[in-house]
Amino acid sequence: MTVLAEQTKYIGAAPRQLTLAQRIAERWPAWGSIFIGYFVLLIIYFPILWLMILSVSSEPLTGFAGDWTLRWYDDMLYGTGQREGEAYAVNSRVFDPLLLSLKLAFITAALCMVASLLIGPILPRVRFRGPLLLGYLMPLMVPGIVASVSLFLFYRLGLHWKMGEWSLGLAHFVWAFPFALLAMLVVSSRFDTRLLEAAADLGASPWRRFWDIQVPILKPGIFAAGFFGFLLSFNELPFSIFMRAGDITLPIYLWIQSGAHNSSVPLIFALSTLITIASIVLTFIAIKVAFGEKTVTVKKIRTA
Amino acid sequence: MAGDVAVMNASGPTTGIGSTRGAVGDQILEVVSATHRYGEVTALDNVSISARRGEFLTLLGESGSGKTTLLRIVAGLERPTAINRITIDGVDATLLPANKRNTTTVFQHYALFPHMSVGENIEYGLKVRGMPKQERRKRAEKVLELVRLPGLYDRRVHQLSGGQKQRIALARALVTEPTILLLDEPLGALDEKLRIDMQVELKELHERLGLTFIYVTHSQEEALTMSDRILLMRHGRVVQEGPPTDLFERPAARFVAEFMNVENLLDGTIESMRDGEATVRIGSHLLRGPWTGRGTAERGAKACVAVRAERIQLGSAPAQDASSINHVPCRPGVTIYKGKYVDQMLGTEIGPVKARVWDRSMEVSSASAFWWRVGDCAVTPIAAD
Repeated sequence: MTVLAEQTKYIGAAPRQLTLAQRIAERWPAWGSIFIGYFVLLIIYFPILWLMILSVSSEPLTGFAGDWTLRWYDDMLYGTGQREGEAYAVNSRVFDPLLLSLKLAFITAALCMVASLLIGPILPRVRFRGPLLLGYLMPLMVPGIVASVSLFLFYRLGLHWKMGEWSLGLAHFVWAFPFALLAMLVVSSRFDTRLLEAAADLGASPWRRFWDIQVPILKPGIFAAGFFGFLLSFNELPFSIFMRAGDITLPIYLWIQSGAHNSSVPLIFALSTLITIASIVLTFIAIKVAFGEKTVTVKKIRTA
Repeated sequence: MAGDVAVMNASGPTTGIGSTRGAVGDQILEVVSATHRYGEVTALDNVSISARRGEFLTLLGESGSGKTTLLRIVAGLERPTAINRITIDGVDATLLPANKRNTTTVFQHYALFPHMSVGENIEYGLKVRGMPKQERRKRAEKVLELVRLPGLYDRRVHQLSGGQKQRIALARALVTEPTILLLDEPLGALDEKLRIDMQVELKELHERLGLTFIYVTHSQEEALTMSDRILLMRHGRVVQEGPPTDLFERPAARFVAEFMNVENLLDGTIESMRDGEATVRIGSHLLRGPWTGRGTAERGAKACVAVRAERIQLGSAPAQDASSINHVPCRPGVTIYKGKYVDQMLGTEIGPVKARVWDRSMEVSSASAFWWRVGDCAVTPIAAD
């Protein structure tokens, strides 16, 4: 057959198409992905949404929404039994744990920022970085209960130290630091150390190189480390249970209340809703602050 | 390009950069016996160099020859394994860290600070020296004009092209008025056209500022274009040092000739030596040429006759007196068209030879012999040092 005849054969042929069955058979993994994708989102968010709805319902413990009210928010803020004409006072049973949790969260965030700023840039460049990194990240893989029991036994029974706010802060740092370090490593592993050489070459002392070059370029990592430190500390429960003396953090308060059989249980719905909303807002702010310039930074690092 | 440079020369800004404190020509840099090892690898093997004030000194060599290590030792960015002494402008700098040495480097990868503007980058060296803001700004604007990028002061680094980044890196290094400007393959990342433009510009800048430049490159063409003096390095040692013409015309070793792109390297043994002229035996042929190695060579020593393709003449019989030429019969091989010229490959009894023919009217394929003048080749030892 000549080349021309060959070509003519294809030109003359009808356009070939898949049948519907063939198309579905070909596409079904994509539909499967989409379905599972939405289903997982539903599993994650539906209970939270349900909790939020019940927090403004008058009978949350029944599990049925409706008869909308802000009563539980009022109870949470000012305490039950203070509403009949008495002077409103802030409900210290909720606010004391909140203040303690905030304090711990800020301390943990600060510790995470400093530690990850000092360790993060060095780690990618030392000889035993693999084992070291694994060592730092190990607390991620050890169950929280195991880690917290061992911490408690070591300090309380081993060293005979009294638990208190210091031990809560320590435990929160142990828990949050791996996440903070990971967040820092995302930025610091891309850090071009030749920039420090260039600064030294231009006459900058080690101190100036640190403040003028390293800190500004690692800024997104520092903020991310602080953000993880804050959020993980604020929401931490297992370590807190063991490492507290009589202190009650907000998660501990929620945990105690949810196991109790008294009239303040519905407060949990309101409190959890507020914490969730605050966490979401904080996350957005943190992303904005830390990674607002992200696209620019990445581009700058690549082209530098 | 030449026109551009002339314009820059005529109307360029005056600047205080490069004001010489000492007399031009005195010793500004001395490195005595520097050795550097990275683990088992010896990057620099007991090398001593010196530079005169205002000199354009090039460290030339392949990657791994130790040239960048040597530059980094001068900058203070690398602490040598062993060293006798480094003196910069009369000051013993052996133990000074990089930030205490008045040298600045233009890096191949630019190393511009990505979080600073162009202006902040340029001013950084002045800022760490505690210069007030207005003065810094004035100098930055001035040096921006010097590198022919006025108006880029507020630009962000990521908005610059490769060529612009190179000039900003140059400006940042110049603005602190260093004693010595170190350039580490500064044109390596640029495309060819830009590279050639920048070569001319750097040469111009050097002459204008009277500053000492130490320039690292692997390109013999760059080295020849710009340098007052070239140090050719290999395996952590200096193989040959001298002005560009020396390296080009009188290679001290086969490696030098090879590195300087001499097309024909014909290996044989020394037959005799007389008045600096060596006779080399290759098979049954005796070739003569000036001995360019160090000292002298024994009869029977391995030697190489290095002859450039353009020095070779083709034909049937030489017109010159047979005593002033090397003459070898040949069979013409492949002809390679190169545009401006033609490269004619020749099969000969002394190995394959390449001849370059510029005369387009010449019948190259009928040549039965080739020859070159005795003075147009160089005889070098084969061992590297």
